[in-house]
Amino acid sequence: MTSIARTPAPNPRGPDPQPPRNTRGVAGVLALRGVDAADIRAILRRAAAYADAAPGADTTHPALRRRPVANLFFEDSTRTRLSFSIAAARLGAAPLDLHAAGSSVSKGETLIDTARTVEAMGVAAMIVRHRCAGAAAAVASRVACPVINAGDGRHEHPTQGLLDALTFAQAHGREDGFDFSGLTVAIVGDALHSRVARSDAAAFTALGARVVLAGPPALAPPALARALGCESTHDLDEALGAADAVQMLRIQFERLADTGAIAGPEAYARAWQLTPERAARMKRAAIVMHPGPMNRGVEIHPDVADGPSSRVLRQVDNGVPVRMATLAMCAEAAADHA
Amino acid sequence: MGSILIQGGRLIDPASGRDETADIVIEGGRVVGVGPGLRAPDGAEVIDAREKIVAPGLIDPHVHLREPGHEHKETIASGTAAAVEGGFATVCCMPNTSPALDSPAALALVRERASKGGACRVFAVCAATVGRAGVSLTDIAALAEAGAVGVSDDGDALASSAVMHRALEQTRDAGLAFMQHCQDPELTRASAMHAGEVALRLGLPGWPSVAEELIIERDVRLNRRIGCRYHVQHLSCAGSVEIVRRARAEGQPVSAEASPHHLLLTHETCEGFDTNAKMNPPLREQADVDAVRQGVADGTITILATDHAPHTPEDKSAPFEQAPFGIIGLETALALYAEALVHSGLIGWPRLIELMTINPARLCNLDALGLGSLHEGGPADVTIIDPDARWTIDEGAIKSKSRNTPFLGRQARGRAVGVIVAGEIRLRR
Repeated sequence: MTSIARTPAPNPRGPDPQPPRNTRGVAGVLALRGVDAADIRAILRRAAAYADAAPGADTTHPALRRRPVANLFFEDSTRTRLSFSIAAARLGAAPLDLHAAGSSVSKGETLIDTARTVEAMGVAAMIVRHRCAGAAAAVASRVACPVINAGDGRHEHPTQGLLDALTFAQAHGREDGFDFSGLTVAIVGDALHSRVARSDAAAFTALGARVVLAGPPALAPPALARALGCESTHDLDEALGAADAVQMLRIQFERLADTGAIAGPEAYARAWQLTPERAARMKRAAIVMHPGPMNRGVEIHPDVADGPSSRVLRQVDNGVPVRMATLAMCAEAAADHA
Repeated sequence: MGSILIQGGRLIDPASGRDETADIVIEGGRVVGVGPGLRAPDGAEVIDAREKIVAPGLIDPHVHLREPGHEHKETIASGTAAAVEGGFATVCCMPNTSPALDSPAALALVRERASKGGACRVFAVCAATVGRAGVSLTDIAALAEAGAVGVSDDGDALASSAVMHRALEQTRDAGLAFMQHCQDPELTRASAMHAGEVALRLGLPGWPSVAEELIIERDVRLNRRIGCRYHVQHLSCAGSVEIVRRARAEGQPVSAEASPHHLLLTHETCEGFDTNAKMNPPLREQADVDAVRQGVADGTITILATDHAPHTPEDKSAPFEQAPFGIIGLETALALYAEALVHSGLIGWPRLIELMTINPARLCNLDALGLGSLHEGGPADVTIIDPDARWTIDEGAIKSKSRNTPFLGRQARGRAVGVIVAGEIRLRR
């Protein structure tokens, strides 16, 4: 997962990476932490190319054409699942959805048995979302096809980190080299419980940006920032003033209710909401991101969410090319391996 | 039952302080001679022990044999086969079976199965509370009478101070040691690994060291006026070593054990979500590993215990957060202890053998049966060790029913080459 063997690739846009390999020896993307900047850039370059493809252009891929790609979502998701399905379809693959409820998962079949059953149906890749950290890694170590992590507990959501990096690069004209040196990204809110924060931190720091976690001490502790190679602050205005982008994390009150970490939605909004006033004090070129779904009026004011600096819909839009690139490169690596 | 002459070995018997070249003669399941130049009785089997260490049969006071109730993970037969393979002549099994070992009938069941299929001696530690639920005390006096060699709710701490207070009194009155699994349950709810940098990176709920320290600190204070023998199981962090060191300096009847993994591995082993690195208590930081080793070296930690915890590959294939805790340890322990403590220069072989024989024997009152030492008239339990044997920890050679260990493939040095239990040769390599 963390070490990537580089092999020469035929891609004229430059050498493509060998995405991370699982213990069965097949490529997959389980996390961004520990992935080389060169490999992240290669996926982003491919994603940018897909994003630029003319409407109606043939983007089908020989390694995926007419092959099933399985969505194994053991946790609710709308946008990520749809985004992967659209990505698979544009590559010519046949997306298959497995819903935990109504499948044999609800009859007590284990995660691994479910994954192996789906693998036996001949899928080209497996996209796994699960409420437990390490779930995608557990699957990847026991199946032979590529596994893409679509969110595992609080651990990572790597394609979200990649689409955020692509969105940021587009906004700041850094699509040539995806080099974010000299730029600062603020991640605001409950970083501790956020897989998006972990993938964003890994991607943005790898690409050279300064990353600042901002939030209440219980949710953005300095120890977490140190562990992720970031800085931390408990002063929102300080974080916003320095930021070239701000990623506003969703606050999940249902999960935080009994931890005592925050008082409630109103108190949180007073201290940590990105209001129009605060947004107006940000750098002129700074952008506002949110991985969704948004709690309008809690972590983000509706006027900011829909305002000129918001890139929330662009993020959603970028999800498809990023997932196309991830799927395509995993399928290529698996084909090389076979 | 034939007679045996073990010839020319380095005899180490920490109970008597012996460390010399000597022979041992065994007849009728007992040691009948210890000394230089002994002659073999007629028809005796002669074992050449030159360049080997000849020690009292090794004792592991903390294993999980899973029987009754979890025979798919391990049985008394397979667990004791693993014990003998690792050099052990005696194991003490923990009561977290199904049903729990909380009644004389359950202890009798273990004894019966061990006498039929056990490769080595098996003693049982009984549960402190009914069903290990932490609420109502078991009849500790009756369980001691029925053969229990210790009292523990291992797997869970006895969290209630009031229940713990009574458990210490009754354990003391029964003449046993209380063995505490030190884990504050509220501070470790859903915890999957040590609370530190790696847990923060992996997004796993952390398990703070203080959850262990608090229970030890509380128990030591509770026990001051009770005076029960109090034993800390599988101690994992620097703060715990310090509390035990202080209590022992005050002369309190407090002891502690260390496990192979806490002497060798850190929380970094959990990177990549390897569920074979998921332990209870968890693997901690290098400073903790160093402190546990130091605690052994300075005499704070006087017992070594594997916490042998078999789980099937299916159990361990769950996502890290859901996978069960623990690893197997019996077959690899001797070499791993040697690596961490002897080859590293911290202690010598005589001290290591003391930590694996007479000290656990005293903890569990097995010294009263003559176990843990080598003396004329005593039971003929002997372990012969090649201290320099080099071998590779190989999955295919494992005798346990389970394979859950992060040490597969490790180059090991030091190995049991012979085990005799009650005069019967159980291992000959």
